[in-house]
Amino acid sequence: YVEANDYMVPGIGVYFNSTCAQCDAGCSVNGRVREGRVLKLEGNPDSAINKGKLCGLGQAGVQHHYNPDRVREPLLRNGNKGEAISWDKAYALIAEKLAGVQGEEIAFLSGGVSGHLKVLLGNYLDSLGTKNHFVYEAIAPSVVRAANVKAFGVEMPRYRFDKAQVVLSFGADFLGSWVSPVHFSQQYAQFRKGVNGQRGVLIQVESKMTLTGANADRWLAVKPGTEGVLALGIINALGMATGDVAELVKGYDKARVSRETGVSTGQIDKIAALLKLRSPSLVLAGSAAEGYAHGSQNAAAINLLNQVLGNVGKTIEAPVSVPFPQMAPSKGNTVALKNLNDGLAAGKYKVVFNFAANPVFTAPGAFKFKDNFAKAGFKVAFAHYLDETALQADLVLPLDSALEDWGTQVPEYLTEGAQINIQQPLMERLHADTRGMGDILLSLIKQKKADEYKGFEDYYAYLRGAVLQNKGALGGGGVEDDTFWNDTLTNGIVKLAGTTTSLAAHASAAGLLLPAEAEADEHFPLHLIPGVTASLRDGRHTNQPWLQESPDPLTTIVWDSWVEIHPKKAAELGIVEGDIVEVTSKTGSVKAQVYLFPGIHPEAISIPVGRGHDAMGRYAKGYGVNPFQIMDAVFEAATGELAMHETRVKISKTGQRVLVVKDEGAAGALQMGRKIAARVSTDQVDLSKEV
Amino acid sequence: MSVSNLLENWAQVRHEHPNNDKPHDPYKWAMAIDLDACTGCNACSVACYAENNLPVVGREKFQHGQQMHWLRVERYWDEDGREFPDQGFQFLPMMCQQCEAAPCETVCPVAATNHTADGLNSQIYNRCIGSRYCSANCPFKVRYFNWYDYPTTDNVWPAEMQQQLNPDVSVRGKGVMEKCTFCVQRLSAAKVKAKGEGRIVAEGEVQTACQQACPTSAISFGNIVNPESRVHKQWAAQQVELAKDKQDKNEGEAPSELRGYRILEELRAYPSVMYLERVRESAV
Repeated sequence: YVEANDYMVPGIGVYFNSTCAQCDAGCSVNGRVREGRVLKLEGNPDSAINKGKLCGLGQAGVQHHYNPDRVREPLLRNGNKGEAISWDKAYALIAEKLAGVQGEEIAFLSGGVSGHLKVLLGNYLDSLGTKNHFVYEAIAPSVVRAANVKAFGVEMPRYRFDKAQVVLSFGADFLGSWVSPVHFSQQYAQFRKGVNGQRGVLIQVESKMTLTGANADRWLAVKPGTEGVLALGIINALGMATGDVAELVKGYDKARVSRETGVSTGQIDKIAALLKLRSPSLVLAGSAAEGYAHGSQNAAAINLLNQVLGNVGKTIEAPVSVPFPQMAPSKGNTVALKNLNDGLAAGKYKVVFNFAANPVFTAPGAFKFKDNFAKAGFKVAFAHYLDETALQADLVLPLDSALEDWGTQVPEYLTEGAQINIQQPLMERLHADTRGMGDILLSLIKQKKADEYKGFEDYYAYLRGAVLQNKGALGGGGVEDDTFWNDTLTNGIVKLAGTTTSLAAHASAAGLLLPAEAEADEHFPLHLIPGVTASLRDGRHTNQPWLQESPDPLTTIVWDSWVEIHPKKAAELGIVEGDIVEVTSKTGSVKAQVYLFPGIHPEAISIPVGRGHDAMGRYAKGYGVNPFQIMDAVFEAATGELAMHETRVKISKTGQRVLVVKDEGAAGALQMGRKIAARVSTDQVDLSKEV
Repeated sequence: MSVSNLLENWAQVRHEHPNNDKPHDPYKWAMAIDLDACTGCNACSVACYAENNLPVVGREKFQHGQQMHWLRVERYWDEDGREFPDQGFQFLPMMCQQCEAAPCETVCPVAATNHTADGLNSQIYNRCIGSRYCSANCPFKVRYFNWYDYPTTDNVWPAEMQQQLNPDVSVRGKGVMEKCTFCVQRLSAAKVKAKGEGRIVAEGEVQTACQQACPTSAISFGNIVNPESRVHKQWAAQQVELAKDKQDKNEGEAPSELRGYRILEELRAYPSVMYLERVRESAV
């Protein structure tokens, strides 16, 4: 307390289990509650996903809940202002606007959803007679998912870092922001410990260093977009391929691969030798490989390397799935955004709903999404904050925070077994007039199907009813209803016998064709690589001050955006740290401070995404720039996903210079000969005797 | 405590360690951090903000070097002039090293910072007059001064955010020095509980917030006096001794095959945190 209440006797903390809602990985949290207030989020040790651990992003969930800039009552547009109205009026207004509107004139945009909320949302959309549910995530491994289906028969197999002796990652930031980072970090720790002192080796191939790259034994700055070429070059160097694969890689000799990728022939030999020597290994395709127009081909080449190495079934296992397909996560992608945007541009929609997405902020500038969104007749945003999209809506409905709301969640990436995560309120509502998304959907669906849903007073009743109805399948056969429900809430997780599919594992080069070397663009000579950081992701949590002040691990910059440039390139252009440069693409331009960063290919620059809000409250608005704004609309050829790494830019000096606000310290990043953060190579150390 | 009382009882106020007359018993809190497991993800640092009521100072004050992160992740890169940092970066979680002969303690004019019997370098906020000598004398630069009254500073803890503050930890006012405490509130709670049950705190019973959050379990923490503790075993296996400023394993001609070391050991501060060197594969 800054000021304790008079006569207050502090109690002891109690802990409630719930589920982290900061990303979709589905870590279970243990919320510390005292005097009716949630104080801290910790990991739930019983979860197979995070085993008691929690990342910074997850811990900052309390600042989502206590954020002073939350929307507190339903707001109806009146000119440029939002006027507070009652919930009854808001529901009546939605009913009025939906009256006489055809199903195809309604669109519902959401982020990834799963569990009972997904079921309820589906039912609501059915009741409206619309099939226009656009599930959109600005940053998602969609191309890799599609490539995995082709190679293994599943979207996301289970990766076993802990069983691998070598991990070769093509731009998968699995320690930072990729799929299930807390879980992968734990496996990574086991992988590094290894067996009998035989420590796992991590090789990271990418054009811009990620957190994972910063932890690699060998980090290779590959020429942007040539990840697939390198993968085929390694297959060639291995000499293990047969049949059509051998035929395919024949042309990828070391000299050519080295020329195209910028990786030395000696290095290719070393990687091939190591992969042969230490098996099993694990090869990953991440966002840096999939972000190009030929992203599917890159990912296919990388998966092919896995197959040639015989990793399928060893470090790449069949995933578990939850035996309730209707609750399985709807995974967001960018095709959905494109389709919605096209429809909006054509003026197709009379009523548009938006939930858990902020497309006005995250859509690439070339989409002109904000203008197109304005063409929709009536726009409803379910929102926690007045973010950029909510500001464009006609009606804003304030949501409960994740620490106030009920829910169930099914993670896309399951680990040891299948599980359904429970989300429950850790404290009373902070603001009287916010509502849970489930409650709102239930109220809306009752407008259409009052009889069917009249038995459910609120979403809690619906959830309890739905769980108890399937008590047997959820492992509660023979247990009394109240007991089972209370146990479920106490545990925060329902563990299930999952179903396991099997993996297809035949190596085939069919359909794999990498494009010829890209021509240099003289007007826009540099590649723009959007930096995805572990704490800011797509920018939906930028208004959490812990995350703003948590230094970017690689640059140590806080509270601002930056342009990463290789020192060599910067010298060529006469740029020094702190110079404000204008970064211009075909679509637009942004101005930001420069940070000289050796972990980037000289032909590329990188700006982190997530900052540059012009809304979303005091902790987000006005800090940094938004690189989504200058992204071109280039699409991946096979899947139609946005190719996020395909934007080309040029940079020019503006003549201004600022001091970069960072945590690097007076000596820069140098140890000045002292032994502070020490490093030793494997041949000088004996790990077998360690505790 | 009056100043005269303080001066008369200086020896009690200022415990000196390592000291054979007063061995650590039954507790000496210590840490071991495996830099090969640390990925630099900052989860520990955020956990520290959440647990210890650290203010978020904002961009401008951060620029002035007034950030309050008791635990920061330092990042270093190679100085060999290669084109790319092709062995990654070096990350190092840096917090108060809870030195046994802490340079900060001797210079405090009011004994606001002193040594506790269980081996913590403690900071008594009510006694601190803000001379900042301790900070000047700290070789690790892990002491943080309250230049402002953060509780009343705009947007640091607006009304809603105040509700998140941990009631077990005091919110510091303007003009006092603060630093990592090894989550002393958690240690106290565990010690009181154990004492009530007539035993000492068992291994694993208490975790620091940073240790608890760390996704790779790079941080281990515990009572180094207890031979069953992981920390004790790690220090022993690495042949790092608390009371030595030069470890025996480094005395010979050949370099040690062990990874354990303490930072700036030659300053004879006897830190309670041992780091394990980051390892990089020589075959690639």
